[in-house]
Amino acid sequence: MKSKDKKLIQVALYGMDERTYKTMEMFLKGPCKGIAVVVDEQNAEIDLIDADYIKARDVLDERQSQTPERPIILLSLQELSLSGTIYVKKPVQSPDLITALKQGNEILHGGKVKKRAGSAKQDAEPKVEPKLEDKTESTVEEGEADKKELYKEQQKTRKHRTARDLTEVGFSSYMGHVDGVDFSDPEQVLLASYNPKNHFLGYVKTAIKVAKEKSRILQLNSGWKSLVIFPHSNEIWLDAGDKQLRIYAGLEIKKNSKNSMSLSPIDQDAFNFGEKMENFDDIDAFIWKLAIWTSKGQYPVSIDINRPVYLKQWPNFTRLVVTPHAMRIAALLIDGPRTAMNLADALNIKPQYVFVFISAAKTLGLLGQAKRNADILTVPPEVKPSKSKGILSRILGRLRGE
Amino acid sequence: MSQYKIIFTGPVGAGKTTAIQSISDVEPIKTDAAASDMTKKRKSATTVAMDYGIMKLEDGEKIHLYGTPGQERFDFMWDILTVGGLGLILLLDNTRADPFQDMQFFLDSFAGFITETSVAIGVTQMDLSSKPSIDDYHKQLQKSDMKPAVFAVDAREQKDISLLVQALLFTLDPGLEDE
Repeated sequence: MKSKDKKLIQVALYGMDERTYKTMEMFLKGPCKGIAVVVDEQNAEIDLIDADYIKARDVLDERQSQTPERPIILLSLQELSLSGTIYVKKPVQSPDLITALKQGNEILHGGKVKKRAGSAKQDAEPKVEPKLEDKTESTVEEGEADKKELYKEQQKTRKHRTARDLTEVGFSSYMGHVDGVDFSDPEQVLLASYNPKNHFLGYVKTAIKVAKEKSRILQLNSGWKSLVIFPHSNEIWLDAGDKQLRIYAGLEIKKNSKNSMSLSPIDQDAFNFGEKMENFDDIDAFIWKLAIWTSKGQYPVSIDINRPVYLKQWPNFTRLVVTPHAMRIAALLIDGPRTAMNLADALNIKPQYVFVFISAAKTLGLLGQAKRNADILTVPPEVKPSKSKGILSRILGRLRGE
Repeated sequence: MSQYKIIFTGPVGAGKTTAIQSISDVEPIKTDAAASDMTKKRKSATTVAMDYGIMKLEDGEKIHLYGTPGQERFDFMWDILTVGGLGLILLLDNTRADPFQDMQFFLDSFAGFITETSVAIGVTQMDLSSKPSIDDYHKQLQKSDMKPAVFAVDAREQKDISLLVQALLFTLDPGLEDE
Protein backbone atom coordinates (compact mmCIF):
# COMPACT_ATOMS: atom_id res chain seq x y z
CA MET A 1 0.00 0.00 0.00
CA LYS A 2 2.78 2.38 0.91
CA SER A 3 4.66 1.89 -2.31
CA LYS A 4 1.47 2.52 -4.25
CA ASP A 5 0.78 5.72 -2.34
CA LYS A 6 4.24 7.03 -3.09
CA LYS A 7 3.26 7.42 -6.73
CA LEU A 8 0.28 9.50 -5.81
CA ILE A 9 0.29 13.21 -5.11
CA GLN A 10 0.02 13.65 -1.38
CA VAL A 11 -2.41 16.37 -0.35
CA ALA A 12 -3.52 17.79 2.96
CA LEU A 13 -7.03 19.16 3.36
CA TYR A 14 -7.94 22.32 5.29
CA GLY A 15 -11.18 24.10 6.16
CA MET A 16 -13.33 21.01 5.85
CA ASP A 17 -15.40 19.30 8.48
CA GLU A 18 -15.00 15.60 9.09
CA ARG A 19 -17.68 14.53 6.67
CA THR A 20 -16.47 16.75 3.88
CA TYR A 21 -12.97 15.60 4.52
CA LYS A 22 -14.02 11.99 3.99
CA THR A 23 -16.06 12.84 0.94
CA MET A 24 -13.09 14.64 -0.58
CA GLU A 25 -10.99 11.56 0.07
CA MET A 26 -13.54 9.58 -1.89
CA PHE A 27 -13.68 12.18 -4.61
CA LEU A 28 -9.93 11.96 -5.12
CA LYS A 29 -10.06 8.18 -5.17
CA GLY A 30 -13.07 7.91 -7.42
CA PRO A 31 -13.87 10.71 -9.89
CA CYS A 32 -10.26 11.97 -9.76
CA LYS A 33 -9.02 8.47 -10.56
CA GLY A 34 -6.75 8.23 -7.58
CA ILE A 35 -4.38 10.94 -8.76
CA ALA A 36 -3.88 12.04 -5.17
CA VAL A 37 -4.20 10.70 -1.68
CA VAL A 38 -5.02 12.57 1.50
CA VAL A 39 -2.27 12.56 4.10
CA ASP A 40 -1.56 14.56 7.23
CA GLU A 41 -0.14 18.05 6.88
CA GLN A 42 3.45 17.08 7.74
CA ASN A 43 3.68 14.64 4.84
CA ALA A 44 1.72 16.59 2.25
CA GLU A 45 3.13 17.84 -1.03
CA ILE A 46 0.18 20.08 -1.84
CA ASP A 47 -2.27 21.90 0.42
CA LEU A 48 -5.91 21.98 -0.58
CA ILE A 49 -7.97 24.66 1.19
CA ASP A 50 -11.68 25.34 1.15
CA ALA A 51 -11.43 29.10 0.66
CA ASP A 52 -15.07 29.62 1.65
CA TYR A 53 -14.28 28.38 5.14
CA ILE A 54 -14.71 31.25 7.59
CA LYS A 55 -11.07 31.15 8.75
CA ALA A 56 -9.62 30.39 5.33
CA ARG A 57 -7.53 33.56 5.41
CA ASP A 58 -5.79 32.39 8.58
CA VAL A 59 -5.25 28.92 7.21
CA LEU A 60 -3.75 30.31 4.02
CA ASP A 61 -1.40 32.66 5.89
CA GLU A 62 -0.31 29.84 8.15
CA ARG A 63 0.36 27.43 5.31
CA GLN A 64 2.28 30.03 3.33
CA SER A 65 4.49 30.88 6.29
CA GLN A 66 5.09 27.33 7.47
CA THR A 67 5.63 25.62 4.12
CA PRO A 68 6.26 28.38 1.55
CA GLU A 69 7.52 25.93 -1.04
CA ARG A 70 4.36 23.88 -1.00
CA PRO A 71 1.77 24.58 -3.74
CA ILE A 72 -1.68 25.56 -2.52
CA ILE A 73 -4.98 24.86 -4.23
CA LEU A 74 -7.93 27.06 -3.25
CA LEU A 75 -11.51 25.87 -3.76
CA SER A 76 -14.07 28.63 -3.84
CA LEU A 77 -17.41 29.71 -5.20
CA GLN A 78 -15.96 33.11 -6.01
CA GLU A 79 -13.16 33.63 -8.46
CA LEU A 80 -9.88 34.12 -6.67
CA SER A 81 -6.60 35.33 -8.03
CA LEU A 82 -3.98 35.12 -5.36
CA SER A 83 -0.24 34.94 -5.68
CA GLY A 84 1.23 31.47 -5.38
CA THR A 85 -2.07 29.65 -5.36
CA ILE A 86 -4.03 27.60 -7.82
CA TYR A 87 -7.71 28.30 -7.99
CA VAL A 88 -10.45 25.75 -8.64
CA LYS A 89 -14.00 26.93 -8.93
CA LYS A 90 -16.76 25.21 -7.02
CA PRO A 91 -18.59 23.00 -7.62
CA VAL A 92 -15.41 21.16 -8.28
CA GLN A 93 -15.33 19.11 -11.41
CA SER A 94 -12.89 16.24 -11.41
CA PRO A 95 -11.04 17.38 -14.61
CA ASP A 96 -10.39 20.79 -13.04
CA LEU A 97 -9.11 19.35 -9.83
CA ILE A 98 -6.92 16.85 -11.68
CA THR A 99 -5.47 19.72 -13.76
CA ALA A 100 -4.84 21.77 -10.64
CA LEU A 101 -3.15 18.87 -8.90
CA LYS A 102 -0.93 18.29 -11.92
CA GLN A 103 -0.04 21.99 -11.97
CA GLY A 104 0.83 21.84 -8.32
CA ASN A 105 2.94 18.77 -8.92
CA GLU A 106 4.84 20.51 -11.72
CA ILE A 107 5.52 23.54 -9.51
CA LEU A 108 6.68 21.23 -6.77
CA HIS A 109 9.17 19.53 -9.02
CA GLY A 110 10.49 22.71 -10.63
CA GLY A 111 8.51 22.53 -13.84
CA LYS A 112 6.66 25.42 -15.40
CA VAL A 113 2.98 25.58 -15.88
CA LYS A 114 2.42 25.72 -19.62
CA LYS A 115 -1.21 26.62 -19.78
CA ARG A 116 -4.31 26.97 -17.79
CA ALA A 117 -6.93 24.34 -18.15
CA GLY A 118 -10.59 24.37 -17.25
CA SER A 119 -11.33 26.66 -14.37
CA ALA A 120 -8.13 25.78 -12.56
CA LYS A 121 -5.94 28.87 -12.57
CA GLN A 122 -2.49 29.50 -11.24
CA ASP A 123 -1.36 33.04 -10.74
CA ALA A 124 2.22 34.10 -10.33
CA GLU A 125 1.19 37.70 -9.88
CA PRO A 126 -1.96 38.84 -8.21
CA LYS A 127 -4.50 40.73 -10.28
CA VAL A 128 -7.21 41.13 -7.76
CA GLU A 129 -7.00 41.04 -4.03
CA PRO A 130 -8.70 37.95 -2.68
CA LYS A 131 -11.97 38.40 -0.93
CA LEU A 132 -11.25 35.94 1.82
CA GLU A 133 -12.76 37.61 4.81
CA ASP A 134 -10.62 37.68 7.86
CA LYS A 135 -13.33 37.47 10.44
CA THR A 136 -11.03 36.06 13.09
CA GLU A 137 -9.05 39.22 13.55
CA SER A 138 -12.07 41.31 14.28
CA THR A 139 -13.42 38.56 16.49
CA VAL A 140 -10.31 38.70 18.62
CA GLU A 141 -10.37 42.48 18.82
CA GLU A 142 -14.00 42.57 19.68
CA GLY A 143 -13.91 39.51 21.87
CA GLU A 144 -14.61 41.24 25.16
CA ALA A 145 -17.27 43.46 23.69
CA ASP A 146 -18.88 40.41 22.12
CA LYS A 147 -18.94 38.63 25.45
CA LYS A 148 -20.72 41.57 27.02
CA GLU A 149 -23.19 41.72 24.16
CA LEU A 150 -23.75 37.99 24.42
CA TYR A 151 -24.40 38.32 28.13
CA LYS A 152 -26.87 41.08 27.43
CA GLU A 153 -28.54 38.98 24.76
CA GLN A 154 -28.89 36.07 27.16
CA GLN A 155 -30.74 38.33 29.58
CA LYS A 156 -33.15 39.46 26.89
CA THR A 157 -35.15 36.30 27.04
CA ARG A 158 -38.34 37.86 25.83
CA LYS A 159 -37.08 38.19 22.31
CA HIS A 160 -39.32 36.13 20.06
CA ARG A 161 -40.89 34.59 23.15
CA THR A 162 -44.41 35.54 22.13
CA ALA A 163 -43.81 34.01 18.72
CA ARG A 164 -42.43 30.87 20.30
CA ASP A 165 -45.15 30.48 22.88
CA LEU A 166 -48.18 31.22 20.74
CA THR A 167 -49.14 28.61 18.21
CA GLU A 168 -51.55 29.36 15.40
CA VAL A 169 -54.18 27.17 17.03
CA GLY A 170 -53.64 28.68 20.45
CA PHE A 171 -53.96 32.17 19.11
CA SER A 172 -57.65 32.04 18.14
CA SER A 173 -58.88 32.75 21.62
CA TYR A 174 -56.14 35.32 22.10
CA MET A 175 -57.15 37.67 19.31
CA GLY A 176 -59.88 39.43 21.23
CA HIS A 177 -63.18 40.69 19.93
CA VAL A 178 -64.80 43.97 18.98
CA ASP A 179 -67.98 45.08 20.67
CA GLY A 180 -70.71 46.23 18.33
CA VAL A 181 -69.54 44.39 15.21
CA ASP A 182 -71.37 41.28 14.08
CA PHE A 183 -68.86 39.53 11.88
CA SER A 184 -71.53 37.17 10.60
CA ASP A 185 -73.21 40.13 8.91
CA PRO A 186 -71.43 40.82 5.58
CA GLU A 187 -72.35 44.49 5.66
CA GLN A 188 -71.02 45.01 9.16
CA VAL A 189 -67.83 43.18 8.28
CA LEU A 190 -67.04 45.73 5.63
CA LEU A 191 -67.32 48.48 8.21
CA ALA A 192 -65.09 46.78 10.76
CA SER A 193 -62.13 49.11 10.50
CA TYR A 194 -59.95 50.87 13.03
CA ASN A 195 -57.60 53.82 12.90
CA PRO A 196 -54.12 52.96 14.24
CA LYS A 197 -53.54 56.65 14.98
CA ASN A 198 -56.16 56.46 17.70
CA HIS A 199 -54.36 53.62 19.44
CA PHE A 200 -51.07 53.04 21.18
CA LEU A 201 -49.88 51.43 17.92
CA GLY A 202 -49.94 54.77 16.11
CA TYR A 203 -47.82 56.47 18.75
CA VAL A 204 -45.35 53.62 18.93
CA LYS A 205 -44.92 53.64 15.15
CA THR A 206 -44.29 57.38 15.14
CA ALA A 207 -41.86 57.05 18.03
CA ILE A 208 -39.94 54.31 16.20
CA LYS A 209 -39.76 56.44 13.07
CA VAL A 210 -38.39 59.41 15.01
CA ALA A 211 -35.89 57.28 16.92
CA LYS A 212 -34.59 55.82 13.68
CA GLU A 213 -34.42 59.15 11.90
CA LYS A 214 -32.60 60.78 14.78
CA SER A 215 -30.64 57.62 15.49
CA ARG A 216 -31.26 58.15 19.20
CA ILE A 217 -32.56 56.02 22.04
CA LEU A 218 -35.94 57.47 22.88
CA GLN A 219 -38.51 56.89 25.55
CA LEU A 220 -42.18 57.16 24.71
CA ASN A 221 -43.99 58.81 27.59
CA SER A 222 -47.62 57.84 27.29
CA GLY A 223 -48.89 58.02 30.82
CA TRP A 224 -48.99 54.22 30.70
CA LYS A 225 -45.97 51.94 30.92
CA SER A 226 -42.48 53.04 30.03
CA LEU A 227 -41.41 52.13 26.49
CA VAL A 228 -37.87 52.62 25.21
CA ILE A 229 -36.76 52.32 21.59
CA PHE A 230 -33.24 51.27 20.67
CA PRO A 231 -32.86 52.07 16.97
CA HIS A 232 -29.32 50.72 16.62
CA SER A 233 -30.15 47.23 17.79
CA ASN A 234 -33.73 47.38 16.47
CA GLU A 235 -35.14 46.63 19.92
CA ILE A 236 -37.92 47.83 22.15
CA TRP A 237 -38.15 47.60 25.90
CA LEU A 238 -41.58 47.80 27.50
CA ASP A 239 -42.24 47.77 31.19
CA ALA A 240 -45.23 45.48 30.79
CA GLY A 241 -46.08 41.92 29.86
CA ASP A 242 -48.00 40.70 26.81
CA LYS A 243 -51.27 40.43 28.72
CA GLN A 244 -51.14 44.10 29.77
CA LEU A 245 -50.06 45.17 26.30
CA ARG A 246 -52.88 43.23 24.65
CA ILE A 247 -55.48 45.01 26.75
CA TYR A 248 -53.95 48.45 26.30
CA ALA A 249 -53.49 47.97 22.55
CA GLY A 250 -57.20 47.49 22.05
CA LEU A 251 -58.18 50.70 23.83
CA GLU A 252 -58.73 53.90 21.94
CA ILE A 253 -56.64 56.71 23.32
CA LYS A 254 -58.82 59.63 24.33
CA LYS A 255 -58.20 62.97 22.71
CA ASN A 256 -57.21 64.65 25.94
CA SER A 257 -54.69 61.88 26.63
CA LYS A 258 -52.98 62.47 23.29
CA ASN A 259 -51.47 65.67 24.62
CA SER A 260 -49.64 63.74 27.30
CA MET A 261 -47.72 61.70 24.70
CA SER A 262 -44.12 62.78 24.38
CA LEU A 263 -40.70 61.52 23.44
CA SER A 264 -37.56 62.06 25.45
CA PRO A 265 -33.99 60.98 24.79
CA ILE A 266 -32.46 58.71 27.39
CA ASP A 267 -29.01 57.57 28.33
CA GLN A 268 -28.93 53.78 28.02
CA ASP A 269 -26.38 53.35 30.79
CA ALA A 270 -28.27 55.59 33.16
CA PHE A 271 -31.65 54.02 32.49
CA ASN A 272 -32.73 51.51 35.07
CA PHE A 273 -34.17 48.38 33.50
CA GLY A 274 -34.34 46.82 36.92
CA GLU A 275 -34.62 43.08 36.71
CA LYS A 276 -36.62 43.30 33.52
CA MET A 277 -34.05 42.48 30.89
CA GLU A 278 -36.54 39.90 29.65
CA ASN A 279 -38.79 42.73 28.49
CA PHE A 280 -36.75 43.39 25.36
CA ASP A 281 -38.35 42.64 22.03
CA ASP A 282 -37.32 42.93 18.44
CA ILE A 283 -39.04 46.03 16.99
CA ASP A 284 -40.65 44.12 14.12
CA ALA A 285 -41.91 41.36 16.40
CA PHE A 286 -43.26 43.97 18.81
CA ILE A 287 -45.22 46.10 16.36
CA TRP A 288 -46.48 42.96 14.57
CA LYS A 289 -48.13 41.70 17.74
CA LEU A 290 -49.19 45.21 18.76
CA ALA A 291 -50.98 45.55 15.40
CA ILE A 292 -52.69 42.19 15.93
CA TRP A 293 -53.98 43.18 19.33
CA THR A 294 -55.02 46.60 18.09
CA SER A 295 -56.88 45.09 15.16
CA LYS A 296 -58.82 42.47 17.11
CA GLY A 297 -60.17 41.27 13.78
CA GLN A 298 -60.69 44.68 12.15
CA TYR A 299 -58.81 46.12 9.20
CA PRO A 300 -56.85 49.39 9.24
CA VAL A 301 -58.86 52.32 7.95
CA SER A 302 -56.15 53.21 5.42
CA ILE A 303 -57.01 50.03 3.49
CA ASP A 304 -59.72 50.25 0.85
CA ILE A 305 -61.53 47.02 1.55
CA ASN A 306 -62.83 46.81 -2.02
CA ARG A 307 -59.42 46.97 -3.66
CA PRO A 308 -56.97 44.11 -3.80
CA VAL A 309 -53.94 44.01 -1.58
CA TYR A 310 -50.63 42.33 -2.30
CA LEU A 311 -47.77 41.00 -0.22
CA LYS A 312 -44.29 42.29 -0.98
CA GLN A 313 -42.55 39.41 0.76
CA TRP A 314 -43.22 36.62 3.21
CA PRO A 315 -43.26 37.75 6.85
CA ASN A 316 -40.46 36.22 8.89
CA PHE A 317 -42.87 33.87 10.63
CA THR A 318 -40.35 32.19 12.89
CA ARG A 319 -39.88 35.49 14.72
CA LEU A 320 -43.47 36.72 14.61
CA VAL A 321 -46.74 35.60 16.13
CA VAL A 322 -48.38 33.32 13.57
CA THR A 323 -52.04 34.27 13.52
CA PRO A 324 -54.65 31.74 12.38
CA HIS A 325 -54.31 30.91 8.67
CA ALA A 326 -51.51 33.49 8.31
CA MET A 327 -49.31 31.15 6.32
CA ARG A 328 -52.08 30.20 3.93
CA ILE A 329 -52.96 33.87 3.44
CA ALA A 330 -49.31 34.75 2.84
CA ALA A 331 -48.84 31.91 0.35
CA LEU A 332 -51.90 32.97 -1.62
CA LEU A 333 -51.20 36.68 -1.48
CA ILE A 334 -47.59 36.34 -2.55
CA ASP A 335 -48.89 34.91 -5.83
CA GLY A 336 -50.93 37.98 -6.71
CA PRO A 337 -53.26 40.70 -5.44
CA ARG A 338 -56.64 39.80 -3.94
CA THR A 339 -59.24 41.63 -1.92
CA ALA A 340 -59.58 40.74 1.73
CA MET A 341 -62.98 39.23 1.13
CA ASN A 342 -61.73 37.20 -1.82
CA LEU A 343 -58.97 35.82 0.40
CA ALA A 344 -61.50 34.82 3.03
CA ASP A 345 -63.70 33.16 0.41
CA ALA A 346 -60.85 31.39 -1.38
CA LEU A 347 -59.52 29.93 1.84
CA ASN A 348 -62.94 29.49 3.42
CA ILE A 349 -61.94 31.31 6.58
CA LYS A 350 -63.40 34.07 8.74
CA PRO A 351 -62.69 37.62 7.46
CA GLN A 352 -61.33 38.54 10.90
CA TYR A 353 -58.31 36.33 10.31
CA VAL A 354 -57.61 38.07 7.02
CA PHE A 355 -58.04 41.48 8.63
CA VAL A 356 -55.68 40.63 11.46
CA PHE A 357 -53.05 39.47 9.00
CA ILE A 358 -53.52 42.55 6.82
CA SER A 359 -53.17 44.80 9.87
CA ALA A 360 -49.94 43.20 10.99
CA ALA A 361 -48.41 42.97 7.53
CA LYS A 362 -49.36 46.57 6.71
CA THR A 363 -47.81 47.79 9.96
CA LEU A 364 -44.53 46.14 9.03
CA GLY A 365 -44.68 47.61 5.53
CA LEU A 366 -45.01 44.19 3.91
CA LEU A 367 -48.42 44.78 2.41
CA GLY A 368 -49.48 47.17 -0.33
CA GLN A 369 -52.73 48.10 -1.98
CA ALA A 370 -53.04 47.36 -5.67
CA LYS A 371 -53.52 50.52 -7.71
CA ARG A 372 -53.62 49.12 -11.23
CA ASN A 373 -57.06 48.84 -12.74
CA ALA A 374 -56.11 45.46 -14.13
CA ASP A 375 -55.79 44.12 -10.59
CA ILE A 376 -59.33 45.19 -9.86
CA LEU A 377 -60.92 44.18 -13.12
CA THR A 378 -59.58 40.68 -13.33
CA VAL A 379 -60.90 37.98 -11.10
CA PRO A 380 -58.12 36.29 -9.15
CA PRO A 381 -57.53 32.68 -10.14
CA GLU A 382 -59.15 29.94 -8.14
CA VAL A 383 -57.01 28.10 -5.65
CA LYS A 384 -56.22 24.86 -7.42
CA PRO A 385 -55.35 21.97 -5.17
CA SER A 386 -51.97 20.38 -5.68
CA LYS A 387 -51.77 16.86 -7.07
CA SER A 388 -50.02 15.92 -3.85
CA LYS A 389 -52.62 17.60 -1.66
CA GLY A 390 -53.33 14.44 0.32
CA ILE A 391 -49.78 13.76 1.39
CA LEU A 392 -49.03 17.46 1.90
CA SER A 393 -52.03 17.79 4.23
CA ARG A 394 -50.92 14.78 6.20
CA ILE A 395 -47.42 16.19 6.59
CA LEU A 396 -48.94 19.47 7.73
CA GLY A 397 -51.06 17.63 10.28
CA ARG A 398 -48.00 15.82 11.55
CA LEU A 399 -46.01 19.06 11.89
CA ARG A 400 -48.81 20.89 13.64
CA GLY A 401 -49.62 18.00 15.91
CA GLU A 402 -46.16 18.03 17.44
CA MET B 1 -46.20 2.80 -2.10
CA SER B 2 -44.68 6.11 -3.21
CA GLN B 3 -41.53 7.31 -1.56
CA TYR B 4 -42.02 10.90 -0.47
CA LYS B 5 -38.98 13.03 0.17
CA ILE B 6 -38.15 16.50 1.38
CA ILE B 7 -34.66 17.63 0.46
CA PHE B 8 -32.53 19.79 2.74
CA THR B 9 -29.60 21.54 1.14
CA GLY B 10 -27.14 24.35 1.82
CA PRO B 11 -23.48 24.93 2.52
CA VAL B 12 -21.47 23.24 5.23
CA GLY B 13 -22.40 24.38 8.70
CA ALA B 14 -25.80 25.76 7.73
CA GLY B 15 -27.54 23.27 10.01
CA LYS B 16 -28.93 20.63 7.67
CA THR B 17 -28.15 17.74 9.99
CA THR B 18 -29.58 19.55 13.00
CA ALA B 19 -32.68 20.61 11.09
CA ILE B 20 -33.42 17.06 10.02
CA GLN B 21 -32.81 15.95 13.59
CA SER B 22 -35.35 18.54 14.80
CA ILE B 23 -38.28 17.02 12.94
CA SER B 24 -37.21 13.42 12.39
CA ASP B 25 -38.98 10.67 14.33
CA VAL B 26 -35.88 8.54 14.28
CA GLU B 27 -32.33 9.39 15.15
CA PRO B 28 -31.03 10.70 11.83
CA ILE B 29 -28.57 8.48 10.09
CA LYS B 30 -25.39 10.45 9.69
CA THR B 31 -23.03 8.84 7.28
CA ASP B 32 -20.09 9.22 9.61
CA ALA B 33 -21.95 7.67 12.48
CA ALA B 34 -23.11 4.82 10.34
CA ALA B 35 -19.59 4.06 9.35
CA SER B 36 -18.06 4.35 12.76
CA ASP B 37 -18.42 0.71 13.67
CA MET B 38 -16.71 -0.49 10.60
CA THR B 39 -13.09 -1.04 10.06
CA LYS B 40 -11.08 1.87 8.78
CA LYS B 41 -10.78 0.36 5.33
CA ARG B 42 -14.47 -0.42 5.14
CA LYS B 43 -15.35 3.01 6.50
CA SER B 44 -13.74 4.98 3.73
CA ALA B 45 -15.26 2.71 1.13
CA THR B 46 -18.79 3.01 2.39
CA THR B 47 -19.16 6.63 3.40
CA VAL B 48 -22.04 8.11 1.46
CA ALA B 49 -21.90 11.54 3.07
CA MET B 50 -25.50 12.54 3.40
CA ASP B 51 -28.01 12.79 6.22
CA TYR B 52 -31.24 10.97 6.44
CA GLY B 53 -34.25 11.16 8.73
CA ILE B 54 -37.86 10.03 8.71
CA MET B 55 -41.12 11.71 9.61
CA LYS B 56 -43.77 9.14 10.38
CA LEU B 57 -47.35 10.06 9.55
CA GLU B 58 -50.38 8.72 11.37
CA ASP B 59 -51.36 6.38 8.56
CA GLY B 60 -47.96 4.74 8.60
CA GLU B 61 -46.65 6.68 5.63
CA LYS B 62 -43.06 7.81 5.93
CA ILE B 63 -41.61 11.07 4.71
CA HIS B 64 -37.94 10.72 3.99
CA LEU B 65 -35.77 13.69 4.87
CA TYR B 66 -32.54 13.87 2.93
CA GLY B 67 -29.70 16.28 3.57
CA THR B 68 -27.41 16.80 0.62
CA PRO B 69 -23.69 16.50 1.16
CA GLY B 70 -22.56 19.81 2.52
CA GLN B 71 -19.85 20.72 0.12
CA GLU B 72 -20.86 22.21 -3.16
CA ARG B 73 -18.34 20.19 -5.01
CA PHE B 74 -20.32 17.01 -4.71
CA ASP B 75 -23.32 18.07 -6.69
CA PHE B 76 -23.23 14.92 -8.80
CA MET B 77 -25.35 13.31 -6.08
CA TRP B 78 -28.05 15.96 -6.09
CA ASP B 79 -29.89 14.88 -9.20
CA ILE B 80 -30.29 11.41 -7.77
CA LEU B 81 -31.48 12.73 -4.43
CA THR B 82 -34.16 15.03 -5.76
CA VAL B 83 -36.01 12.49 -7.89
CA GLY B 84 -39.51 12.27 -6.44
CA GLY B 85 -38.86 15.04 -3.93
CA LEU B 86 -41.80 17.12 -2.68
CA GLY B 87 -39.78 20.31 -2.31
CA LEU B 88 -36.55 21.92 -1.21
CA ILE B 89 -35.48 23.44 2.08
CA LEU B 90 -32.44 25.64 1.55
CA LEU B 91 -30.49 26.51 4.69
CA LEU B 92 -27.96 29.32 4.58
CA ASP B 93 -25.34 30.22 7.15
CA ASN B 94 -25.30 33.99 7.75
CA THR B 95 -21.74 33.92 9.05
CA ARG B 96 -20.33 32.65 5.76
CA ALA B 97 -18.21 34.96 3.65
CA ASP B 98 -20.88 35.55 1.01
CA PRO B 99 -24.31 34.09 1.86
CA PHE B 100 -25.88 35.62 -1.27
CA GLN B 101 -23.43 33.78 -3.43
CA ASP B 102 -24.24 30.59 -1.55
CA MET B 103 -27.94 31.21 -2.07
CA GLN B 104 -27.59 31.87 -5.78
CA PHE B 105 -25.40 28.84 -6.19
CA PHE B 106 -27.93 26.48 -4.62
CA LEU B 107 -30.90 28.10 -6.35
CA ASP B 108 -29.13 27.70 -9.68
CA SER B 109 -28.06 24.16 -8.93
CA PHE B 110 -31.58 23.10 -7.98
CA ALA B 111 -33.36 25.36 -10.48
CA GLY B 112 -35.07 22.49 -12.26
CA PHE B 113 -36.26 20.89 -9.06
CA ILE B 114 -37.49 24.22 -7.68
CA THR B 115 -39.43 24.92 -10.87
CA GLU B 116 -41.15 21.56 -10.56
CA THR B 117 -41.79 21.90 -6.83
CA SER B 118 -40.88 24.85 -4.59
CA VAL B 119 -38.32 26.15 -2.13
CA ALA B 120 -38.33 27.68 1.35
CA ILE B 121 -35.21 29.32 2.72
CA GLY B 122 -33.98 29.27 6.31
CA VAL B 123 -31.16 31.55 7.42
CA THR B 124 -29.18 30.27 10.38
CA GLN B 125 -26.64 31.92 12.69
CA MET B 126 -28.40 35.29 12.53
CA ASP B 127 -27.74 35.71 16.23
CA LEU B 128 -24.03 35.74 15.42
CA SER B 129 -24.26 37.79 12.26
CA SER B 130 -27.36 39.91 11.72
CA LYS B 131 -26.31 41.05 8.25
CA PRO B 132 -27.47 40.40 5.63
CA SER B 133 -30.95 40.82 7.07
CA ILE B 134 -34.00 38.85 5.99
CA ASP B 135 -35.09 41.94 4.02
CA ASP B 136 -31.73 41.92 2.24
CA TYR B 137 -32.33 38.32 1.19
CA HIS B 138 -35.73 39.22 -0.21
CA LYS B 139 -34.26 42.14 -2.16
CA GLN B 140 -31.65 39.83 -3.59
CA LEU B 141 -34.25 37.23 -4.53
CA GLN B 142 -36.48 39.81 -6.18
CA LYS B 143 -33.70 40.46 -8.68
CA SER B 144 -34.37 36.93 -9.89
CA ASP B 145 -38.11 37.50 -9.68
CA MET B 146 -38.40 35.01 -6.83
CA LYS B 147 -40.57 35.39 -3.73
CA PRO B 148 -39.96 32.32 -1.59
CA ALA B 149 -40.45 32.25 2.17
CA VAL B 150 -37.26 33.32 3.94
CA PHE B 151 -37.18 32.80 7.69
CA ALA B 152 -34.53 33.32 10.34
CA VAL B 153 -34.16 29.89 11.89
CA ASP B 154 -32.37 28.16 14.68
CA ALA B 155 -31.94 24.65 13.32
CA ARG B 156 -32.12 23.29 16.86
CA GLU B 157 -35.60 24.70 17.34
CA GLN B 158 -38.22 22.24 16.20
CA LYS B 159 -40.76 25.04 15.81
CA ASP B 160 -38.51 27.01 13.48
CA ILE B 161 -37.90 24.06 11.19
CA SER B 162 -41.53 23.02 11.38
CA LEU B 163 -42.66 26.51 10.29
CA LEU B 164 -40.16 26.51 7.47
CA VAL B 165 -41.43 23.18 6.17
CA GLN B 166 -45.01 24.39 6.60
CA ALA B 167 -44.20 27.44 4.46
CA LEU B 168 -42.89 25.09 1.80
CA LEU B 169 -46.11 23.07 1.95
CA PHE B 170 -48.34 26.16 1.71
CA THR B 171 -46.30 27.46 -1.20
CA LEU B 172 -47.04 24.20 -2.96
CA ASP B 173 -50.73 24.47 -2.08
CA PRO B 174 -52.12 27.50 -0.19
CA GLY B 175 -55.44 25.71 0.20
CA LEU B 176 -53.97 23.02 2.44
CA GLU B 177 -55.62 22.19 5.72
CA ASP B 178 -54.54 19.83 8.46
CA GLU B 179 -55.76 16.28 8.19
